Amino acid sequence: MSGRRLLDSLDFPTIVATLSLVAIGLFAIASATAEQFDRGGLWRTQLMWLLVAVVAATVVVWVDYRLWAELALVLHGGVILLLIAVLLVGTEVGGNRSWLVFGPLRAQPSEFAKWTTCLVLAVYLARRVRGSMGLRQLVEMSVLVGMPVGLILLQPDMGTALIFLPISLSALLIGGVRWKVIVGILVIGVLLTPVAWTQLKGYQKERIMTVFDPARDPSGVGYQVRQSKIAIGSGGMTGKGPFQGTQSQLNYLPAQHTDFVLSGFAEETGFIGAATLLGLFYYLLWRGIVAARSAQDRLGTYLCLLVVAWIIGQVAINVGMALGRLPTIGVPLPFLSYGGSALVSAVCAVALVVNVRTRRFVN
Amino acid sequence: MDYRERWEHKDYLFGRVLERRILLFHIGLTLVLLVFMLDFWNLQGVHGDEYASLAENNRLRRIPLKPTRGEIYDRNEEVIASTRPSLDLVLRREGRLDLRPQLERLAPIINVPIEDLFERLAAVRGRPLFEPLLVKEDVGLAELARIEVRREDFPSAEIRQHERRHYPERGLIAHSIGYVGEVSENQLASNEKALQRGDIVGKSGVERTYDDPLRGHRGWMVVSVNSVGRQIGDARVLEDPDHGLPLQVTLDLRLQRALLEGLGDEAGAGIFIDTRTGDVLAMVSTPSFDPNIFSDGISHETWKAITGDPRRPLHDRAIASFYAPGSTFKVVMAVAGLETGTITPDHREFCNGSTVIYGRRRLCWKRGGHGWVDVEQALAHSCNVYFYKLGQEVGIDAIHKYGKMFGLGSPSGIDIPGEERGILPSREWKLATQREQWYPGDTISVAIGQGLLAVTPVQMARMMAAVATNGRLLTPRLWKSEPTEESQLSISKHTLGIVQRALSKAVESGTARRATGGEFTVAGKTGTAQVYKHSAGIDADDLPKDERDHAWFVGYSPTDDPQIAFAIVVEHGGHGGTSAAPIARKVLEVFYADPPVENRRGTGLRAVAMNQIEAEDVRTPTTR
Repeated sequence: MSGRRLLDSLDFPTIVATLSLVAIGLFAIASATAEQFDRGGLWRTQLMWLLVAVVAATVVVWVDYRLWAELALVLHGGVILLLIAVLLVGTEVGGNRSWLVFGPLRAQPSEFAKWTTCLVLAVYLARRVRGSMGLRQLVEMSVLVGMPVGLILLQPDMGTALIFLPISLSALLIGGVRWKVIVGILVIGVLLTPVAWTQLKGYQKERIMTVFDPARDPSGVGYQVRQSKIAIGSGGMTGKGPFQGTQSQLNYLPAQHTDFVLSGFAEETGFIGAATLLGLFYYLLWRGIVAARSAQDRLGTYLCLLVVAWIIGQVAINVGMALGRLPTIGVPLPFLSYGGSALVSAVCAVALVVNVRTRRFVN
Repeated sequence: MDYRERWEHKDYLFGRVLERRILLFHIGLTLVLLVFMLDFWNLQGVHGDEYASLAENNRLRRIPLKPTRGEIYDRNEEVIASTRPSLDLVLRREGRLDLRPQLERLAPIINVPIEDLFERLAAVRGRPLFEPLLVKEDVGLAELARIEVRREDFPSAEIRQHERRHYPERGLIAHSIGYVGEVSENQLASNEKALQRGDIVGKSGVERTYDDPLRGHRGWMVVSVNSVGRQIGDARVLEDPDHGLPLQVTLDLRLQRALLEGLGDEAGAGIFIDTRTGDVLAMVSTPSFDPNIFSDGISHETWKAITGDPRRPLHDRAIASFYAPGSTFKVVMAVAGLETGTITPDHREFCNGSTVIYGRRRLCWKRGGHGWVDVEQALAHSCNVYFYKLGQEVGIDAIHKYGKMFGLGSPSGIDIPGEERGILPSREWKLATQREQWYPGDTISVAIGQGLLAVTPVQMARMMAAVATNGRLLTPRLWKSEPTEESQLSISKHTLGIVQRALSKAVESGTARRATGGEFTVAGKTGTAQVYKHSAGIDADDLPKDERDHAWFVGYSPTDDPQIAFAIVVEHGGHGGTSAAPIARKVLEVFYADPPVENRRGTGLRAVAMNQIEAEDVRTPTTR
């Protein structure tokens, strides 16, 4: 496909929606850090990362997704090697060893593992699955997903590992897994829950209990959720205005430019802002499904759906946490939360959808 | 083959299956977003106002504006209690620094044991972080300078200013004015007065009785704070504090000083009352203490030292210690005898130094005896034999009646807390408290002021004021509250005249000659309260100090137009005539050198309606 034709058939609505979300994110980060003397310039750093993301996304769109698919295993293997490297020579931030540092650049390979996992799962579904899945395919897919997830859990980064759950479940759904297998997985899951519970750290158990009993420990674990809900609720219909949120400007919100960026945004823009944000995410979901349905091959369809599952799944986990519906877990809100690797990988994910949509016509 | 051709296109049949799965996928994720949309609607649309007020409460903090406590002046407008700024060293607790290294460096500079500082640190654990750790109150400027030059060693150190109660006269006014301290947990719990933790309230004396007007009312300001409680932006004053009112008490510090000086190192008490008004002109209890040590919360060691002192400096002996009145009680005996008609003024008894009553030999203090004495002479020379016989005749019921009339055995009603009522025995009292009937022998001991009797100095001063004024029984007071409580005793002027003449004679030529040097007239009565039964008949100087009798001197002055009544007790002072009477003389000399001014009742100090002041009723209830 020539450059000219590529540009003509680009999926502009999706690109505009994505850039809108990033722009909202820049505003939210600027607002959340306005009163923090050492973080005041973070939105500029994020803007720089946006440039990196746009360059990377251009490359992702330029190369035919079918060629990316040819490279899927190599890329996936490369990311797995990086994840091993992180465990060996990575830098620890806040208790998680998830960063690779190259001079001034820091990167989280786990963010890119999401991207290659979507790719490799789509390839697997397109190549190996026809009709419905059996146990063998299930095991093979588990290996593909399990390797990065296992390494990420070793960091340990529960939040990032959790994102692979909606991706994997969607893969099972659209790959056509048998009901018997789903029941089997559920039974094993239920049986393993007590074992998993004993493996959780004390604070993680607290966070889970807090979901069921928000009044529990209002100054400790419950504090974050409570302050987040106060921030969101106090925004009312129209919000307190840009840079006027008392909860965020006075630093009541925890991690207000990263995991809880939504709370400050909802405080300052109110229900209108929050609904607009959810609307934009729904628009991305819808564009992804449009792209999936118009794809000329099964690979394109799977790729779009898995990417949508990732983005919307991550949105669901983050928003659910901010609303107190899910345990507090470190998951950034795609496009909005501060963080370079997460921004680049999320934009590159949408770039895959754009890629598929752009090449919907045969040749 | 072109890589683009290696991927299978969707056939129609599989496309249908896939469409169904995509629809399911679409619906599932859309539902999740819809649930969140409803959540946002619920939080922001439905409950927005509630959360908005929660956010406001988060943000705004009401901070009390503490009123300045009212000053206390004596009747000559000398300052008794004032408020001065105090600089406190605190460590900020925000930022979650470990404060222990800083405390370790501070301890030698501020001269506080490190264990004490760690104790303070442990005590604030769990308190909100915006409350700093108070390291030391009232830090000296030299200490502050030493901290300032090593500023980098103490990143959390800050200086806070607060107002501290200051008593420039220290021990001089300790018991009557009292002291202030931080409100107790009990007071907070009952919280009738909307007190707050950390409020400074009067703990004893005048500070306690008139705590409300002195304390004033706190105001409020509102500040915007961040999540760790640090103030952001300007404060907005909601309500200015009402500062405490100044109080002018009845004390005259000049008399007070003379009285304290007179008591010297002895343990004891003295109280001087204006016979016309009930104003307490001087009131001292020794040993005294420095009330300043309580102003900022007393340290554990100081508290232990002061409460563990066997001489009990905190105890107000003027109102809360009771002693046997000794011979001073003969005033009551004489009145009872004359008023009941048991004796006439001319009735005489013969004293040969002792007498036998109910089969027991009772001694007079004068071994050679007084010879024939009438009641006036018996009182002036304190003849025991006369009063043994009078007691036997008049009986306990009459003694009780007249003792009670003079206010013995009941609180005087002075306007400071902690007054004891003493004991004025009666048949009923003995039966109720000792489960024993009254024996005639008990009456004989009571007749000379020993035995079961116990009175406080303030009761005795009040009684002497009543004797001096022909039966006006006043309520002593440290601050004028209108109307003055007084009652006229139904005792004839004639009877009181005999007593007055006897008391004058006692000073002129009797037992209390040392009460005057002749430049003014004094009427008075000495007394000794037996500490040990065997002391009778033994010269006080031969006894070890703590076994000597307590010495009393009570009376009034001048004799013709009485203005001031008093009672002095010196613990283990031996004879009242030698130890207590000279103290009275010292105070009276100051009194006559420059008579006290009429109390101006605070009107000259600040235009405040002092009659609006309502004192806390701290007095001991008059009826049991």
